[in-house]
Amino acid sequence: MSRKLSLILGGLLLAGWGVIKLPWEIRMTRQQRQATVGFSGPTTVALREKLGQGMALAALGGFRGLAANALMLQAHGAWEEKQWVRVRSALEMATLLQPRVALFWDLASWHLAWNAAVAAEQYSREPSETRRRLEARKWVEAGRDLLERGTRAVPEKALLFQRLGDLYWQRLQDYGAAAACYREALRKPDAPPYLERFVGYALEKSGDREGALEYFRALRRSLGDPPDPARKPEIVDREIQRLKKELSEPPSKAGR
Amino acid sequence: MTPAVWTRSLRKEFKLGWGRGRVLALEGLDLEVRRGEVFGLLGPNGSGKSTAMKMILGLLRPTSGRAEVCGCRAGTLAARRQIGFLPENPYFPVFLTGAELIRYYGKLSGMGGRGLEGRVQELLSLVRLGGEAGRRPLRTYSKGMLQRAGLAGALVSDPEIIMLDEPTAGVDPAGSREIRDLIRELKERGKTVIFSSHLLEQVEDVADRVIILHRGEKLREGRLDDLLTQTGEWQVRAKGLAEAQHRELRAWLIQRGAEVVQEGAPRERLEDYFLRSLPEKERR
Amino acid sequence: MREAWRRIRAVAANTFLEAVRQKVFAVLLVFALVLLGGANYFAEFSFQEQFKFLKDLGYATISLTGLLVGLLGAAQLIPAEIERRTILTALCRPLRRWEFVVGKYLGLASLLGVMLGIMGAVFWAVLRWKEAQLIGAEGQAVAQAIQAEARDPRLWQAFWLIAAKLLVVCGIAVFFSTLATSTTFVVAMTLMVYLIGHLQSVAREQWLESGEAAGWALQAFLAAVALLVPDFNLYGLIDEIVAGNAVDGRATLQVIAYSLAYLGVLLAASAWLFEGRDL
Repeated sequence: MSRKLSLILGGLLLAGWGVIKLPWEIRMTRQQRQATVGFSGPTTVALREKLGQGMALAALGGFRGLAANALMLQAHGAWEEKQWVRVRSALEMATLLQPRVALFWDLASWHLAWNAAVAAEQYSREPSETRRRLEARKWVEAGRDLLERGTRAVPEKALLFQRLGDLYWQRLQDYGAAAACYREALRKPDAPPYLERFVGYALEKSGDREGALEYFRALRRSLGDPPDPARKPEIVDREIQRLKKELSEPPSKAGR
Repeated sequence: MTPAVWTRSLRKEFKLGWGRGRVLALEGLDLEVRRGEVFGLLGPNGSGKSTAMKMILGLLRPTSGRAEVCGCRAGTLAARRQIGFLPENPYFPVFLTGAELIRYYGKLSGMGGRGLEGRVQELLSLVRLGGEAGRRPLRTYSKGMLQRAGLAGALVSDPEIIMLDEPTAGVDPAGSREIRDLIRELKERGKTVIFSSHLLEQVEDVADRVIILHRGEKLREGRLDDLLTQTGEWQVRAKGLAEAQHRELRAWLIQRGAEVVQEGAPRERLEDYFLRSLPEKERR
Repeated sequence: MREAWRRIRAVAANTFLEAVRQKVFAVLLVFALVLLGGANYFAEFSFQEQFKFLKDLGYATISLTGLLVGLLGAAQLIPAEIERRTILTALCRPLRRWEFVVGKYLGLASLLGVMLGIMGAVFWAVLRWKEAQLIGAEGQAVAQAIQAEARDPRLWQAFWLIAAKLLVVCGIAVFFSTLATSTTFVVAMTLMVYLIGHLQSVAREQWLESGEAAGWALQAFLAAVALLVPDFNLYGLIDEIVAGNAVDGRATLQVIAYSLAYLGVLLAASAWLFEGRDL
C-alpha cells in the first residue's frame, strides 16, 4: 500500500467513524444529562475565567473532583481564619465544578448560614446591633439561596431538602417552610425515618397545632399494624397524646 | 532455478517535504543474485546500498521498479520468510538478554516450543554467547557481542538468504575475520549471502560477485575475478631465489619484451600481520 | 489467523517485558505511598468528606499514573523504535505491519492492566483500612453509613470507566506514533487531544446549533473537533459515582462499549497509516 493511499484510507476511516459516533455521543450525553438533571458539570469557557489556570486545566482535564476538593480545603482554611468572603467564593466555585456533590452544597450552606452569620452577629467591631443582625441575615439568605440551587442540582436526594428545612427552622424561624422542605425530603428514597416526625414538629412550631395533630394521626395510621419499630411508633403516640392534651381533646380518641 | 534476489529498474526517491523537492537515492537498479553465492554491494556512504537492501526487505516502498526474493514479490511474508537480516550498527531492545532476543526473533518468524529453544542454544554457542553471556542484558554487551547477537537473530529461522548491512563496521580485526569466516561457512552450507560494505579489502576476501554503486547508480557488476584481474599482466611469487637471480630474471623478461611493472619482496596484509601478532587464543 | 495471533502475542509479550524492566513499577510504589499518605490527611473532616477526598485522590492518582504510563509508553512504541532502528530487525521478519501495531498496543495495554490491577487493589485496601479506622473513631452508630461509603459496589464501575478511558488515550497515542517521527510530538498531540476531548461536547453542540451564525473557519474547527476527537466528558459518570449518586449500570456499559469501538477504529487507522510508512 502506498503512503498516499494509506493516509487517505486512515483519514476516511476516522472521518467515517466520526459521522457514526456523533449520534451515539449525543444520545449518551442526553441520557447522562437526564440522569443528572442537566447538572453533569460545567463545560463552558466561563469556568476558565473563574478559576485559575492550574485549576482550570485540572478541572477540564478530567480531575474536577481534585480541583473541587482543593477548593473545599481552601474554604476550610479560610473558615479557620474567619475569612468569610473567601469561604463563600471557594465553596461557590466548588459547587460550580461539581454541582452533583450534595456534600458541597451542604457544607457551603452550613458555613454561610450558620458560621458566617453567627460571626456577623458577634462582630465586636460593629457597635450597632441592628447592623450586625442585618449582616447576619444576609449570610443566612446567601446560605438559603445556595441550598435552593443545590436542591435543583441534586433533586433525588433527601439531604439538601432536609438541610433547607433545618435552615428555615433554625436560622429563619419560618416553620411552615421548614415543614414543606421536610415533606419534600420525605419523598426521596434515602430520607431518614425521623424526618417524618420533624414535619409534625415544624407544623406545631408554626402555630398550627391542629394541623400537627392531624399529621401525627395520619402518620400513626401509616405505620402499619403491627407498626414498624424503626419509625418509632411510641414517640408518635406520645406526641399525639401531648397535642391532644394541649388542645384539650377527650382521651378516648387516643392514637386513632 | 529462480534467482535468490532479482530487481528490475528499482528506483527510490525520498521527498524532503515542505516543498524542498526530492532526493534520488537509487536510480533504476537491475540486480540478480544467484542462489548459493556471496554477493557484495559496494559503494561509499550514501551510494544507495542500504536503500536497495531495505527495498528488498520491504522496509521501503520502491518509487518504481520491482524486486523479487526467491520468486516472491519483495516485502511479502513469503519473501521475508526467506531472509535473515542484520542491519548496520544494530540496536536491539536493550532490556532483553541475548537469549531472549534470539527467542523473540524466532517467535516472530513463526517458531516456537522446544524446537525454538534448541535453536536458541545452538546459535548462542555458534556466536560464542552461550552460558552467562546469553543471560546478560544487551545493554551490557560490547559492540562485537551485539553484532554476534544480531547475527544469531538473523539466522534463527535458518533462512535461505542472509543480508548483512556493513557487518564489519566498527568491529575489531579479529571480529571482522570471524564474520568473514562465518560468511564462508554459510556459503558452504548452500546459503546465499548478500552483504554491503565500504571496506573493500574485506569484501575481496569473501565475495563471489559484486556490484558497485555510486550516488544511486550502478557503476559496475560482475565476478570479482573478472573485475579485478589485470589481464595484461602476470604475477609470480617465488621463494629460494638469490639476489643475483633476481637481476637475471628481470633481464630475461626485458629481453622478451616485457615491462617489469613491480618487483620486490611481497607485503603481507596489515590485518594478517596484526592477527598473527596476537596471542593464539585472541586470534579466534 | 492462529499464526498471526502468535506473532501478535510475541510482539505484545516483548513489549510488556521491555516496559516492565524499565522500572515502571517504581511509579506504582510512588502511587501507593501517595494514596496511603493521602488516607491520613483530612482527619479533621467528617467521614463523608474524608471518603470523598480519598476516592477523588485515589481515582485521580490512578488516572494520572495511567495517563503518564500510557503516554510515555505509547510514545516509545514506534517513534523510539524507528529512532533506535530496532524496528528494522522486527519488521524484516514475516510479520505484518498491522500485527506489529496491534501487538505493541496489546503489550502496552497489558502493562496498563497490571498496573491498574495493582493500584486498584491498593486503593481497595486503603478504603477498607479507612473504614476500620473511622468506625473505630466514630463508633458503631454510623458504622453502616461508613461501610456503605467504603464498600460501594459502584466504585468498581468507576474503576472500569477509568480503565476504558486510559485504553482510548493509549490508542490515541499509538495512532500518533504511527504518524510521528519524534516522541515529543506523540506526547504533545495526545495530551492536546486528551484536553480537547473534555470540551468536545461543547464544540459539538456549538457546531450543531450555530448554523450560519458562525464563520466557516470556526464551523470547520468545531466540526473537526466534534468528528475526530473522543468525548471524554462521557466518563464524567466517575464523578457521579464518587458523589454517591445513582448511576445506571447500562450507562457505564454504554461508555465502555463506546471506548472499545473507538479503540478498534484507532488501531485500524494506525495499522493503515503504518502500512505505507517508509522505515
